[in-house]
Amino acid sequence: MHIPDGILPVPVTAAGYAATAAVTWYSVRKINKKENSRQDIPKTSLLTAAFFVVSWIHIPVPPTSVHLVLNGLLGAILGYFAFPAILIGLFFQAVMFQHGGLTTLGVNAMIMGLPAIIAHYIFRLRRFGNKESRWKTGVFGFISGAIAVAMSVSMFVVILLTNIPADLDVGTERAAIYTLAIAHLPLIAIEGFITSLLAVFLQRVRPRILDGV
Amino acid sequence: MHTKWKLITCLILVLIVGLGLPITAFAHGAKIKYTVDMTIELVAAYDNGEPMAGAQFTVYAPDDLFTPWLTGVCDDEGRFSFVPDTSKPGTWDIQVRQAGHGDIVHIPIGEDMVATSGTGGYTAIQIILMAACFIWGSVGTALYFSRRRRA
Repeated sequence: MHIPDGILPVPVTAAGYAATAAVTWYSVRKINKKENSRQDIPKTSLLTAAFFVVSWIHIPVPPTSVHLVLNGLLGAILGYFAFPAILIGLFFQAVMFQHGGLTTLGVNAMIMGLPAIIAHYIFRLRRFGNKESRWKTGVFGFISGAIAVAMSVSMFVVILLTNIPADLDVGTERAAIYTLAIAHLPLIAIEGFITSLLAVFLQRVRPRILDGV
Repeated sequence: MHTKWKLITCLILVLIVGLGLPITAFAHGAKIKYTVDMTIELVAAYDNGEPMAGAQFTVYAPDDLFTPWLTGVCDDEGRFSFVPDTSKPGTWDIQVRQAGHGDIVHIPIGEDMVATSGTGGYTAIQIILMAACFIWGSVGTALYFSRRRRA
């Protein structure tokens, strides 16, 4: 789901950077409004490392393979910290491994970062109603993890479908994009399961980590 | 008369041999025809080693970087080849893409070029080292802020 350099036209990449700048500014503003934002930095740092590395874990889904994203997990656990964390992770993935690209950094940040913020709000729904329970944490953890990946895949597909160059065989490229999107369906369930599992585990062993979100 | 016929026969033989010798001498010359088959072969694969089977490739000549010089599809092993127009020296750009993934390679082609091959990316050790450095930086940051928080 990392769009590399040379795939998108310049206006789209520029729009991606503009949108990313706006969301980063808003995220930092929300972070600064928190009482003690510094206490979230250790978990943000560790999950940034996890996001950075996890893209190397490939899950074979014939005829292709997909990799974990964990943007839903970051959104659920980190809240607004998730967006700058994903942005930093994507930057280093692009610079070190050419995974993604520097021109497409803004677009990729929006594809993975915006659903993370949505996942944060979905995960917060566990607090509505009666007392926060392990069952609700698990369910909303699953939904936030799954929806984040589903949203990312949808954004990825829409951006690519609307920017296929005329000199390519449009039908072939479109078919390849749909195939890749379908291959991500199992990932939606896998990421939902991972997010749910980790959220329940954290609530059991260290509930303080989930306090701020 | 018999002697006369013998003489005529000898003359004919001499003529044949005489005419034949230069032909044989010419046959020692050589004529070489040659063609330079400067085929560029590329193999496209994803970073996990999986070949980009059926990916579309686009070749751009140095004189026009906006209009494709050649387009095509990779085979099942992500392989394709083409013969560039050597009258267009410079850097040829070749893009391979499939479902929004892909890469661009720049190949210099000119009179002074030498046969070469290349691969993009890093070795496994380099990747592991870079990933380890990033993880260490993240863990270090986490430890630093944890320590400050306790103090």
